Amino acid sequence: MTQSKSEKSSIVVDRKKEKDKPPTKVVIRRLPPSLTPETLLEQISPLPNHDFFYFVKADLSLGQNAFTRAYINFQNHEDVFIFRDKFDGYVFVDGKGNEYAAIVEFSPFQRVPKRKSKKSDAK
Amino acid sequence: PEVQQVAKKIRPPMHEYIRKLLYKDLSKVTTEKVLRQMRKLDWDDTEIAFYATKSLIAVWNVRFNSIHCAANLLAGLAPYHEHVAIQVVDGVLEDIRLGMEMNHPKFNQRRVSCVKYLGELYNYRMVESAVIFKTLYSFITFAVSYDVNMPSPLDSPEHLFRIRLVCVLLETCGQYFDKGTSKKKLDCFLIYFQRYYWFKRSNAIWVEETRPFPIDIRNLVQDTLEAVRPKLKLSENFEEALKACEDLENEYKPRVASVLPIIETDEGNTSEADDNLTT
Repeated sequence: MTQSKSEKSSIVVDRKKEKDKPPTKVVIRRLPPSLTPETLLEQISPLPNHDFFYFVKADLSLGQNAFTRAYINFQNHEDVFIFRDKFDGYVFVDGKGNEYAAIVEFSPFQRVPKRKSKKSDAK
Repeated sequence: PEVQQVAKKIRPPMHEYIRKLLYKDLSKVTTEKVLRQMRKLDWDDTEIAFYATKSLIAVWNVRFNSIHCAANLLAGLAPYHEHVAIQVVDGVLEDIRLGMEMNHPKFNQRRVSCVKYLGELYNYRMVESAVIFKTLYSFITFAVSYDVNMPSPLDSPEHLFRIRLVCVLLETCGQYFDKGTSKKKLDCFLIYFQRYYWFKRSNAIWVEETRPFPIDIRNLVQDTLEAVRPKLKLSENFEEALKACEDLENEYKPRVASVLPIIETDEGNTSEADDNLTT
């Protein structure tokens, strides 16, 4: 399964089609470290049509730089801007009253899982 | 004097096992074996999957010379656990960005490791060249001030670490940007990079007799550029580097203008978008 660098033949094929598509995967960053995915979804609902969402817990070892974040892939490109206008700079408040201004950006890595039946790993 | 004992973190056996695989065992000869073990993890268990993903992101715990093995490993895991691979790449990019926002020297080695990892992830085709260029441009634009009178707290005049990060990334995967559009993109980037470099180097804080611009950075830049573009004639001062950028922008202006109506409606979150137009 491993490969030598020179071969560079691999699973993640350069996806030409995707390159030409406008970006739709968005990251919302610098959220309160104590935030839960449930609370986030509550606060940003109703979330437009999306086919991918995941939430990342904070790395608490980073102290004051510990944040949660979430990735969302919108199905309609227009929704990206509506979401950005609404939540970029939006202040989230944690249980203790601390304020966190969120940053909404295109995710630098636009890939999302392909929708296909999961290949089970026979190992 | 009493030696302060650092309390050893007690981790669940499964965490210790994952750490042993990735941070102790992983090497060129064991990559296959480690991959097999990683595939055997119970990825349906959210707690294990979370810890394994987190450990795959934390590449600064991997021996520096084995970072390419970690990239190879992730490429091997990707066909079975695509979501894991995606989260790891997202996580590495976030760490690189957060590194610029925190900008604390204690994270320098961690940041170098992450950037090296990203370069290797390109080499193992986990990310496309666009991701590499976005990252390269972020190093020379994110919270960067080109106004001598308004230095940026996140990239102050004596702060030369971003130069090192650019060089690490170019050293790792720059040699593959040798044809087609990625070649052109790198040529453009190098023009902007030299402007950044010379802006730093020509700052008044550097005084030849008392506080010269660090020689190791000079050599690093020279060696790196020579490795990716042996024939490139380097700018010799800030004015030359600035002129090269202006020439490039003038060359591309007509083309940019012709597509601008479309681009203007597009979002660009930093000044990086401006640079990307010309690439």
